[in-house]
Amino acid sequence: MIRAFTLEWLKLKHYRVFWILFGLYLLAQLIITNGGVFLLEWLKSQEADFNGIDPTILPIYDFPDIWQNSVWLASFVKVLISFIVIVSVNNELTYNTLRQNIIDGISKREFLISKFSIILFLALVCTLVLFVSGLITGFIYSHVTDLKYVFDELEYLAGYFLQLVAFSMFAFCVALIIKKAGFAIVLVFLYSMVFEPIITSVLEFADFARGYTDHLVKFFPVYSMEKLTGKVYETPFARYFFQEIKDNIFWYEWLIAIGWIVLFALFITYVLNKKDLKA
Amino acid sequence: MSVLKINKLTKKFGKLTAVDQLNLTIEEGQVYGILGPNGSGKTTTLGMILEVVAPTSGGFEWFGGIGNVEARQKIGSILETPCFYSYLTAVQNLRIVAHIKKCGTENIDPILRQVNLYERRNDKFKTYSLGMKQRLSLAAALLSDPPVLMLDEPTNGLDPEGIAEVRQLIRDIAAKGKTIIMASHLLDEVQKVCTDFCILRKGIKLHEGSVNDILGETNAVEIAADDQKDLQTVLKGFAGLEKAESRNGRLMAYLKEGSTSNDLNQYCFDEGITLKKLIPQSKSLEQEFLKILKEND
Repeated sequence: MIRAFTLEWLKLKHYRVFWILFGLYLLAQLIITNGGVFLLEWLKSQEADFNGIDPTILPIYDFPDIWQNSVWLASFVKVLISFIVIVSVNNELTYNTLRQNIIDGISKREFLISKFSIILFLALVCTLVLFVSGLITGFIYSHVTDLKYVFDELEYLAGYFLQLVAFSMFAFCVALIIKKAGFAIVLVFLYSMVFEPIITSVLEFADFARGYTDHLVKFFPVYSMEKLTGKVYETPFARYFFQEIKDNIFWYEWLIAIGWIVLFALFITYVLNKKDLKA
Repeated sequence: MSVLKINKLTKKFGKLTAVDQLNLTIEEGQVYGILGPNGSGKTTTLGMILEVVAPTSGGFEWFGGIGNVEARQKIGSILETPCFYSYLTAVQNLRIVAHIKKCGTENIDPILRQVNLYERRNDKFKTYSLGMKQRLSLAAALLSDPPVLMLDEPTNGLDPEGIAEVRQLIRDIAAKGKTIIMASHLLDEVQKVCTDFCILRKGIKLHEGSVNDILGETNAVEIAADDQKDLQTVLKGFAGLEKAESRNGRLMAYLKEGSTSNDLNQYCFDEGITLKKLIPQSKSLEQEFLKILKEND
């Protein structure tokens, strides 16, 4: 694993596009998870009020709710992480360096492991950044700073981590079968933000589908990944309007997401083994 | 120990059989040429033994049966197009190669000097000319000082100077006792550098053998004297002559078996003619190649 990671690291260390994309992702994640502060401050400065409540009073950065709120928001920008994976896999195909790597002396399995290790690394860094920025914002704005609450509900962070890994593996598969990076990016974007959400919404909520297909949707790839951080309509912010929210990740939701990661890895192995890498 | 043993290797692309039941054995120290016209399956064969093309059936064995990945780390390969990360410099690219080949990075600087890229070592690969790119693939192939070198059309696209350099390099490396496997459609190239060769056509091996066996002398001798006409008349009296032919102003004497160019020279001298040119014609791989192709038609 270390050998495989080093291989990928040597490729990316001096690659400016990679650092720009990764930096943008972290920035987007920081803004979307912690930008609410500025929104509330702005609302306050505009003298907006919610039935006489000062907006900054809203405890969105209270421990431990901050974790669920942050990952739900961060999930909106996850598609950006797939760009990094697509660019990295696409380079290997267009420059024929995958072929060269194999000729020089790695196996296709090692290639998969090296990409997987960098995916784990990126997801880990993103999750850590989310954790640290959450701690900082939390200690500034939270009304409770008892360590017992600070470190409670951290499973949402693990959910976010798993979501990033699964989504990256999905992007890996797409990049492997579609040679044009731009097209692969558009496809990942459209599938995850448009096609699948529409299909699963119909299957889950349409009147005719109820009782038949609404249990099937949880097996869809993007649906299962999003369940880990909460679907768009499962906003944890609803709790501030005294509505019930989904407040845990079910065991089968973990399992389905992990299952997809395994399936993606098997698919990649299959494609790599079948593919003739021609010059 | 044989370096490579190929056993009934076959590759089909749909209906087309690119490589058909190929058997080959390459021994240590051989400079082995895989010869064939374009599209004869040379590159596909190399692709299969390097595991970038999946064989339809058959198998192969490196170094008496070690793992394929481990084997590839011991092989320096130069394929038709140089493949490197365009956004990395020569040194950064070679570090990746060194990591894959599990060899140290201390060889990078000397090898870049050797291929004349040291001055440009910190420039990105995408800024290189084709010649420089090819020299970098040479550097990558030699980096781990591998016992086996594999070359696919090594002089393709090089200028005459580059061609001479690469051929000299192949001879130098072969002189160190290393095994070289090269695919080429240039007969002349194979004749100049290889010890053994095989001929492929449409994926089928037509011939295999040593280069020296197939070359050697023919019974033709090109001769010339100051007075060609006189020579031609005198020649008719030579007992060891099979026939004489004048082609494009060059006079060819074909000798009967048992008579040599020495005898011919002696005869002419005795007849009062001093030959100013006496060149026994050696076989060329080209003639033999065409003969073999014809025999198999």
